[in-house]
Amino acid sequence: MNEIGEMVQLELRNVTHRYNGKMVLDIPHLSIQRGKIYGVVGPNGSGKTTLLSIMNLLIRPTRGQLFFEGKPIHNEDDSRLEIQRSMAMTLQTPYLFNTTVEGNVAYGLRARGIPRRNRAAVIEDALHQVGLRGLTNRRARELSGGEAQLVAIARALAVDPKILFLDEPTANVDLRHIGQLEEIVSAINADRGTTIVLTTHNLPQAYRLAHHVFPLFEGRMVPSTMHNLFGGTIKASADGPYFDTGKIQIWIPQEFSSSPSNYISVNPEDIIVSKEPFASSARNRYEGTITQVVDQKGRVDLVVNAGETFRVQITEHSFRRMGLNVGSRIYVTFKATSVHLL
Amino acid sequence: MEYLIEAFGDSIELIFSFDREIYGIVGRSLVFSLTATFLAALFGVPIGFLVGTKRFRGRSGLLTVMNTLMALPTVVVGLLAYGFFSRRAPLGFLDLLFSPTAVIIGEFILSLPIIANLTVSAVQAVDSRAILTAKSLGAGRALMTWTILMEARFSLLAAIIAGFGRAVSEVGSAMMLGGNIRFYTRTMTTAIALETSKGEFGFGLALGFFLLLVVFSINILFHFLQVRGR
Repeated sequence: MNEIGEMVQLELRNVTHRYNGKMVLDIPHLSIQRGKIYGVVGPNGSGKTTLLSIMNLLIRPTRGQLFFEGKPIHNEDDSRLEIQRSMAMTLQTPYLFNTTVEGNVAYGLRARGIPRRNRAAVIEDALHQVGLRGLTNRRARELSGGEAQLVAIARALAVDPKILFLDEPTANVDLRHIGQLEEIVSAINADRGTTIVLTTHNLPQAYRLAHHVFPLFEGRMVPSTMHNLFGGTIKASADGPYFDTGKIQIWIPQEFSSSPSNYISVNPEDIIVSKEPFASSARNRYEGTITQVVDQKGRVDLVVNAGETFRVQITEHSFRRMGLNVGSRIYVTFKATSVHLL
Repeated sequence: MEYLIEAFGDSIELIFSFDREIYGIVGRSLVFSLTATFLAALFGVPIGFLVGTKRFRGRSGLLTVMNTLMALPTVVVGLLAYGFFSRRAPLGFLDLLFSPTAVIIGEFILSLPIIANLTVSAVQAVDSRAILTAKSLGAGRALMTWTILMEARFSLLAAIIAGFGRAVSEVGSAMMLGGNIRFYTRTMTTAIALETSKGEFGFGLALGFFLLLVVFSINILFHFLQVRGR
């Protein structure tokens, strides 16, 4: 249990992983609580799959320690296998064994020595949960990408895992199946209480599904999301340090002046939207045009071209009250302290 | 030309008269080759699996040796085995020379590298995601091995069929180790060689048809399995 009484199911302490000598993951601390959905977001190559593979014990980290339900995970194969069997993972491009759907869903049960006579009901239940009831005898290789992903999830569900890892579950899925998959993920968590850790490069999706969202960038967890990520250089001026993106200048806190970082990010929730400039202590203000409006059920994401492309999040109420739409001229304003160095 | 037509007629007559000697040779050849292939698969598949899936010191050298053995001349196998099985040789006390067992051993030695090498290729061709998926679903060592073999099953069957093809069509070692003894160690290939040299071209041609039929069937099966495996 942690200090607020939530059960920590999996914990990573000082975990680093190197590949060919290059640091690909550096996680000082991460704890996964029972019954929650976690979304790991980040661009390709940010270390999402490596993180999931380490958590699922598929690969051993170069350094660091993992804890499962409070107990350290040791290196002995038998004890790792036992813990691994209380988790399951689906790959970004799912691999279905060259047999029937039933044979695939039964795989984890076979691995756990569940007798054949006890498997049928579990398989039926898992397929029912993903909406593929009746496909039991279909050849797995004849399924579409979306159906294959659903079978992979059913296969993972059949073993009733305590933690379910989903690596980019909608990456290779057609539009028709994305909504269905998202509903299934939420239902698995709600109906079974399964802890879910999913990776995605789709930030809105992560926010829709997850209780907690962890942005990952170049193997490190960063304090803000991946939107409003700008590359450039830190420069000094008489008024203080600023970040030069090549298109705009963004004021940053004094303490960042000597940082060698070439990336900054600004949380969309920290940006204020107004139709007119207003007096405030916020030093960063840019005039721009709304180029995209994304409805996020109660919230609205605005994409604003203001020299750089900003993503801003406001409530649906504010959006209506201000009468905004694509093409509206607005000001985006945020404080220097809202800027995070990566 | 008349000679050929006459021989062809003789061969057809022998086939459709269900000549006891011809069918006996065909049956014996198949028994020898199937037994040798079964034994070669029993050893070759595990060897190929280990070499294909494990990393160990000397692996690349072993692969080179295995590849070289695929092209082993059949008479060399016959010669070496003869050196071991002849009366004064180290294994002479087993009294195996000119016996069906000696023919089977020769064919086994010829099939083994084919099956082992093609098994290496078959297991290496298994998608790495299959192993990752099996691991993520908690597969232990035994189930993991079974899974890899099952995913490669069509290629493995093709490997075994290729091994059978080598065994059934070889002539050198069967001649040297079996002695081509009538109704005992005479196979299709040794009989063809003997009967043709005696001038019994029709007899040789009849056996040649059967041998072609076996090889043709093997190729059809091989092609079918390759298509299924895709």
